[in-house]
Amino acid sequence: MTSTRGSRMRRIAVPLTAAAAVVSLAGCAGGENAAATPDADLAQDIVFALKEDIVCVDPQQTSLTTALIVGRQLTDSLLDQDPETGEIVPWLATEYEVNDDLTAYTFTLRDDVTFSDGTPLTSEVVAANFDKIVELGASASLANGYIAGYTGTDIASDTEFTVNFSAPNVAFLQGATTMSLGILSPDTVALSAEERCQSIVGTGPFVLDSYVANDSVEISAREGYDWASELRGHEGDAYLDSVSFPIIVENSVRTGGLESGEYDVIQDLPYIDEARFSGADYNLYAKANPGVPNSFVLNTTAGVLGDEAVRQAISKSIDREQINIIAGSVNGDAPTSVLSSSTPGFTPVEKALDYDPKGAAKLLEGAGWTLGSDGIYEKDGQKLTVTVTAFYAQDVLEATQIQLAENGIDLQINMVSSGDFFGAAASGDFEMLGAGLTRTDPDVLRVMLSPASKSRWGIVDDAELEELLQAQAQTADPEARQELVTEAQQLIADRAYVIPTFEVLQLHASRAGVEGITFDSAARLHLYDAAVISE
Amino acid sequence: MASVANPSTFMSIVRFLLPKIGQCLFVVWATYTVAFLLIHALPGDPVLAALSVKGGDATSTDPAALDALRARYGLDGPLLQQYVVHFLDLFRGDLGVSIATGQPVVDMIARTFPHTAALALFSLVLGFVGALLFTVWAYIARPAWMRNVVTQIPPLGIAIPAFLSGLVLISVFSFGLGWFPASGTNGFVSLVLPGITLALPTGAIFFQVFSAAVFDAGASPFVFTANAKGLAQRTVVVRHVLRNALLPSITIIGLQIGYLAGGTAVVETVFSRDGIGRLTVDAVLARDINVVMGVVVVVSVVYAVTTLIVDALYGVIDPRTRTRITRTKAVSA
Repeated sequence: MTSTRGSRMRRIAVPLTAAAAVVSLAGCAGGENAAATPDADLAQDIVFALKEDIVCVDPQQTSLTTALIVGRQLTDSLLDQDPETGEIVPWLATEYEVNDDLTAYTFTLRDDVTFSDGTPLTSEVVAANFDKIVELGASASLANGYIAGYTGTDIASDTEFTVNFSAPNVAFLQGATTMSLGILSPDTVALSAEERCQSIVGTGPFVLDSYVANDSVEISAREGYDWASELRGHEGDAYLDSVSFPIIVENSVRTGGLESGEYDVIQDLPYIDEARFSGADYNLYAKANPGVPNSFVLNTTAGVLGDEAVRQAISKSIDREQINIIAGSVNGDAPTSVLSSSTPGFTPVEKALDYDPKGAAKLLEGAGWTLGSDGIYEKDGQKLTVTVTAFYAQDVLEATQIQLAENGIDLQINMVSSGDFFGAAASGDFEMLGAGLTRTDPDVLRVMLSPASKSRWGIVDDAELEELLQAQAQTADPEARQELVTEAQQLIADRAYVIPTFEVLQLHASRAGVEGITFDSAARLHLYDAAVISE
Repeated sequence: MASVANPSTFMSIVRFLLPKIGQCLFVVWATYTVAFLLIHALPGDPVLAALSVKGGDATSTDPAALDALRARYGLDGPLLQQYVVHFLDLFRGDLGVSIATGQPVVDMIARTFPHTAALALFSLVLGFVGALLFTVWAYIARPAWMRNVVTQIPPLGIAIPAFLSGLVLISVFSFGLGWFPASGTNGFVSLVLPGITLALPTGAIFFQVFSAAVFDAGASPFVFTANAKGLAQRTVVVRHVLRNALLPSITIIGLQIGYLAGGTAVVETVFSRDGIGRLTVDAVLARDINVVMGVVVVVSVVYAVTTLIVDALYGVIDPRTRTRITRTKAVSA
């Protein structure tokens, strides 16, 4: 989906859909709905090399991609979401209903679901899960974001319950499809936050056998699993018998191990190694992170950034296509909105993100800036210098730095630790933050920019934008909400409150003999349909 | 060793060791204090830093929540109070709780320490034996140019960074020949490649000290005498040359422990092994203060104890040291 016209038609036809973000790959048979059939003669055990320690196995607490990949296999969610169409479908809940002001969601549970320790799934268990997430507070920040304003769960029967919120919560539905709100057994819920990081029991198609920190995670298929969502490729038990996840931090060891056959699947194939693995011997799996792509998130009260002309000039001076070629995957695309292409509700914005150095120069000259002898604009003796605070993706920032310098804007890069980054975000002591924010709902824009948001990044005082952001968060009708979300994306890009630079792609690889690995709506993996089909 | 049954000899050993134990305690205290000051002098909020490891882009920055966590991990109150409280906790074996993982630091170190100790010990032995073999080879090698060539080989071990040699070993012996696993912490086979990687620089240092001492001893009058008496070459080398060259090598074991503490961090990362080195790197990156302090204390204790043992070993290996101890007793009696 690249043309604006196309997107508009789609908006009317299928509101709030994730745009076609799953790229088609040469030699990739592992796309969605790939009907992999396991070879009965081969052991259905695979080795999946992870890139880092998962630190915490509990998907409700962690937001580390690596940990979520493991957590997804162990837990199921109330609902599931088609990553292509954005459609919400039943999973543990057979149906759901939401009231008009988005403050009460009523679910009906399947009555045949059990946890792997034998306890049945009931309304009470779900309620206990949500209650505990609130109690965990900062330890479960992502899950808490999805149930913001939670006031409690009313239990009507063993299979019927209503989740209540004090204020409209539009992100909950999407959140209920993620592993962040994956349902854990009553015994697990009763454990302390630290104990849950070591071991959990869920209803998922796999069970946790062991987790040894900094070493490995072992999971095996659960017998009698019978409640896969309709989005999966088959029913019943998972095809694989077991998955072993060694933790291999060194990139070259992961890629070398995939080549030598020591690993069947590897997480995070470095973009630079992509060409080596694009032949018929390997399958690649690529999907953009949903949410706000890697961007400059601006503090409009800092220095020259209060001037809209300056902000727009920065945005127009960035050649996103070129950055994607330099720093990205061949399977990735340059960002075309302040939401990434895999986010439900994504609409490409018009003009604001086009590379237009002439337009940028015109804007700056119109605002009284003149080109200095060193090639950098200045005004009243002040250089046009902006600083970005970031904790990853230095290559993207450096590519941007060069492009901006060519167009007379001096970009200073301030690389800090992740802790200092969030410290800066919390205190507002920054000019621009350089990062992306991964969420599966367009409400991420409100979380990031609204002055009322507890975990906001950008500092923007714009009543018109705030009204849009609040309105979309309170609109139940998908079509009406899509209008608001589209308008908000255009406005944010036009006024350059968020300046996207790069779409981060999740890129994994497996040998050709392993098929059926699919992405969920949060760009994390399902291994339920995965199977060994050949040596 | 001198008979322990004799009470006066026992007292003299105690008198020999007591000041050394005092030194050990001082080393541990000083290391703790310097590390404490350094880590608290760094800018930024350690709680936020450690929280962002698990929280990622959803890290909470709510001040009330952060204050609650700070109190929970013993990072509230004035610095001096934290210093005193945490230092006293050490004597109860309490190293606090990791901010990033929520586990007791003692448990984390207990989990990783055996892996690293096994690796360090294995590479020490390997390096020591390797250095010994090369030294003997160099000592008996003829003609002189051959001897020069042999003495130039071991320094390569320290010239090649462990990061590179590790990756080369993995490519050849794991991915190429499939003899050893490329990663993991399971059993002896997983120890071989990282052990060799770490033994290269360790052995090179041993060789430098050892070969110098051997050549020194080889030129000494007692070896001249032994040769003149017509003793077999092997007897001369083993009984006279090597024994006299042992002392300086034992001395640098203490220093090697310090090197290994840093070296394991690289090797454990390349070979994806769970261990103290990687624990430290992760903790420093996450600014997980309690873990960093815990590791610093444990490593300094190991270092101090090793030095103490080495000091005590002098008495066993070198009879002259033994006499000195006894003489001290005679003077003070």
